[in-house]
Amino acid sequence: MRAVEPTSSGYVERSGIRLGYEVFGDGDPTIILLPTWTIIHSRFWKMQTPYLSRHHRVITYDGPGNGRSDRTTDPERYRSEEYAHDAAAVLDACGVDRAVLVGLSLGAKYGARFAWMFPERTLGLVMIGPSLHLDIGLPEREAVFARLFEPSVEDAQGWDKYNVDHWYTDYADFTEFFFAQCFSEPHSTKPREDAVGWAGETGPDVLDAESRSPEPELGDREALAALTCPVLVIHGTGDRIAPYTAGEEAARLTDGTLAALAGSGHIPNVRDPVKVNLLLRDFVDRLAS
Amino acid sequence: MRAALPVIEGDVDRGGVGIHYEVFGSGETTLLMIPPSPITHSRIWKGLVPNLARHYRVVTIDGRGNGKSDRPTDIAAHTVEANVGDILAVLDATGTESAVVVAHCHANWWAVSLADRHSDRVDALIAIAPGVPYLGRPQPHWVDTAPHWNEILDDPNGWELNNRHVYVTRHRDWIEFFFGKQLVEAHSSKQFEDAVDWALESSGEILATGEEGFDERVPDRESVEAMCRSLQVPTLTIHGDLDVCQHIDRGREFALVTGGEMIVFEGSGHLTPAREPVRVNRAIRRFVDEHKELPMHSQTWTRGMNRTKKALYLSSPIGLGHAGRDLAIAQELREIEPDLEIEWLAQHPVTAVLETAAERVHPASEWLASESGHIASEASGHDLHCFQALRRMDEILVANFMVFQEVVEEGGYDVVIGDEAWEVDYYWHENPELKRGSNVWLTDFVGYLPMPDGGEHEAFLTADYNAEMIEHIARFPRIRDRAIFVGNPDDIYPEVFGPGLPKIRTWTEEHFDFSGYITGFTPPTPTQSEEWRSELGYDLDEKVCVVTVGGSGVGRDLLEKVIAAFPKVKTMIPELRMVAVAGPRIEPESLPRHHGLEVHGYVNRLYRHLAVCDLAVVQGGLTTTMELTAAQRPFLYFPLRNHFEQNFHVRHRLAQYGAGRYMSYHDTDPDQLAEAIAAEVGRQVSYREVETDGARKAAQMIAELI
Repeated sequence: MRAVEPTSSGYVERSGIRLGYEVFGDGDPTIILLPTWTIIHSRFWKMQTPYLSRHHRVITYDGPGNGRSDRTTDPERYRSEEYAHDAAAVLDACGVDRAVLVGLSLGAKYGARFAWMFPERTLGLVMIGPSLHLDIGLPEREAVFARLFEPSVEDAQGWDKYNVDHWYTDYADFTEFFFAQCFSEPHSTKPREDAVGWAGETGPDVLDAESRSPEPELGDREALAALTCPVLVIHGTGDRIAPYTAGEEAARLTDGTLAALAGSGHIPNVRDPVKVNLLLRDFVDRLAS
Repeated sequence: MRAALPVIEGDVDRGGVGIHYEVFGSGETTLLMIPPSPITHSRIWKGLVPNLARHYRVVTIDGRGNGKSDRPTDIAAHTVEANVGDILAVLDATGTESAVVVAHCHANWWAVSLADRHSDRVDALIAIAPGVPYLGRPQPHWVDTAPHWNEILDDPNGWELNNRHVYVTRHRDWIEFFFGKQLVEAHSSKQFEDAVDWALESSGEILATGEEGFDERVPDRESVEAMCRSLQVPTLTIHGDLDVCQHIDRGREFALVTGGEMIVFEGSGHLTPAREPVRVNRAIRRFVDEHKELPMHSQTWTRGMNRTKKALYLSSPIGLGHAGRDLAIAQELREIEPDLEIEWLAQHPVTAVLETAAERVHPASEWLASESGHIASEASGHDLHCFQALRRMDEILVANFMVFQEVVEEGGYDVVIGDEAWEVDYYWHENPELKRGSNVWLTDFVGYLPMPDGGEHEAFLTADYNAEMIEHIARFPRIRDRAIFVGNPDDIYPEVFGPGLPKIRTWTEEHFDFSGYITGFTPPTPTQSEEWRSELGYDLDEKVCVVTVGGSGVGRDLLEKVIAAFPKVKTMIPELRMVAVAGPRIEPESLPRHHGLEVHGYVNRLYRHLAVCDLAVVQGGLTTTMELTAAQRPFLYFPLRNHFEQNFHVRHRLAQYGAGRYMSYHDTDPDQLAEAIAAEVGRQVSYREVETDGARKAAQMIAELI
């Protein structure tokens, strides 16, 4: 059973894709919890919606490719700018003018893009374990990405599984590996099971298309530096997906507040939900006062 | 001793009336604190100022008619205009553009008038038990007695004492009756004494005139209400629901008409700043900081399972002994829990010991108000009334608790270990929601005991303090997770806590674990003793008498008496060598000189001298006397007069070991002292062995919590 059922739910159609959204609670200001990499869908916010919706209107929605939204294999549809327009369309559908944006990992990239494109609609931005193109010199990670579209290696181990060819070969093997990396904290069986299950609701063709989406013209670094809204970055020091130094850099670029979670992995909103919930509430309360 | 001293103080001249102000601390935000005069003065804020001044600039004012301000006697000098003018003049004199105004009782009427006429000078208003005319409703006793204000009543009683003639002719009676009624909370003897003392610094005539001046030129209800409604500043109202002076409805309506926040203190009376200083401090800070719209700070949060174990250790700076035994416990704790991080919240002289041992002293320690300084300031001659000294340390304890609470809220400690950390034990029981981590309480005595000279009143006071402690533990057993008595059940003084209260021993055995005594040092073996004597330059055929009086200036009288006895002893025992240690506060040169007598200001590792001497002459402190007991040395000890712990608890404990010879300083003349020294020096003694595993036992008890 879900801890809280949505107050309302629906679909918004934008550029040929139907996006499923849900609304919880009705307090001001509104918080929109953004989609992340489409390998999982909006249920990854399940530890946040019950608490935050007791104090605020909370909107979640599924991005293209997973959950209740349409699957598409058009790379263009996975651009950051498209995600920003999607979020704006969902806010429109809910009759919300301005909101606090919260994004995890790639969701932080989408949130930052929204804040840059729609500053008048952005009350504040929270980036959790942000996955951004900041050019801060991470050769190991760059090497992994460089092999993404190469033929998969025989008996792939470790990060060699982060490879489109391998996804088509053994998708379940990849998702199990990947979420073990995301949830690097001991005793994380349930979060890993959940995430692998949500990943099973989409497939390698969608992830393949998402991987080929072009980067926006104005880079993430420049977009962050141009933001004017209050920013909070929450980042686990043990993050194996988006390194902690990226969070530090994102906070620096945006003149934002950094909440370091010592010992946490990539998805602290699931693995350390209490602390993240309290941080989110504190951030939103200060915006409201 | 005060817990915080002003950085600036001064007076403004207001048409011949001097108004005194004090400025504490610094910071962007200024708090201006206005007491309700002339019934009291700025010292009512003593539980708040030290804490608030660490965060803000604080300006206090003595209202006209009391404190260090002048005492005009005209009604015209006590109107709202006069008082608002004083406040403005102090704001100007201190270069304060605007301030958050904190006012108590009827001073809120002046604060409201100030905010109404000079809204640019008031950032916010914190109204404690506000008495603004008309709002809410007056207590019936004020209404009933008002018509008889100017009459000469026949044998007035109770609230009838609210009468001009009574104020003038029986000022103290009225004051004692009034504050007796206001302090509805149990165990408020200190707050009562303070309030009465401060009120009596003014006179009945001025108090009566102040009342009459207050009522002059008050506009009608509609105007007062409109004034409150149109206030341009945020307000916070704090009001006790049992307030007998200003009915809580007054606070409620004030909060309502100003559209402000209201905090009700349930079970509290009129004097919340004095009786609930911790809650008032925290309410003020939260309110002020909220209105400053502080940005969110960058921070690090460590996952629970990734945290190293941490302890915060508080070691009482009163007396010299705690540091040694606490270090011994800390070292044993590390044996059991090698990864345990220990931080110390400590002050002089404990910090000196800790620094030598390379322990980690928390930087907030520098904010602590000096407890040892206070105790030294309370002593005179060979006399220290330590119970009253502890009572008068109330503002220092609040100030230090507020520092402690900030440290403990940020530090993520698994356990707090307080060796006679009175402030933690008391205020966590008074504010149980503030507890963080497990809590260990250590002490070497239980029970305040009255000195005979204090008579019935002191017996009442000690029983009242004991009763409060017993009630604390009964109501909130969860505050002390472990209580350790540094000693054995037989060491407990065989008395009751007071009339109708339990036996100290029975109660203590029910509520404490016993570690045995903790010396913090190992006595030398016979071979070591010979080596030490030789290293220290003491010949075997010399009779060495060490005289030591602790680190404060308290011991001068005893030192002088021993030196006066010296010539006679020297004729009786020619091989006598007397080594007197004056300590850092007594100039050795200021003492008489004799052949065969050495006076030192400081002696390195004094415990080695004590451990091998042929006689020691000391005060009645537990640590030194127990060191001598453990080392099997003969000694004479002179408890400080009026020091209940030295006269009862320590003496009783030494008797358990059959150790030492008790002497009364005031009943012993130099001749008698000479006889005693001659009789005792070099005497073979055989005391009960002092346990050596106390630190280990205490550490094991603490380790169970982490």
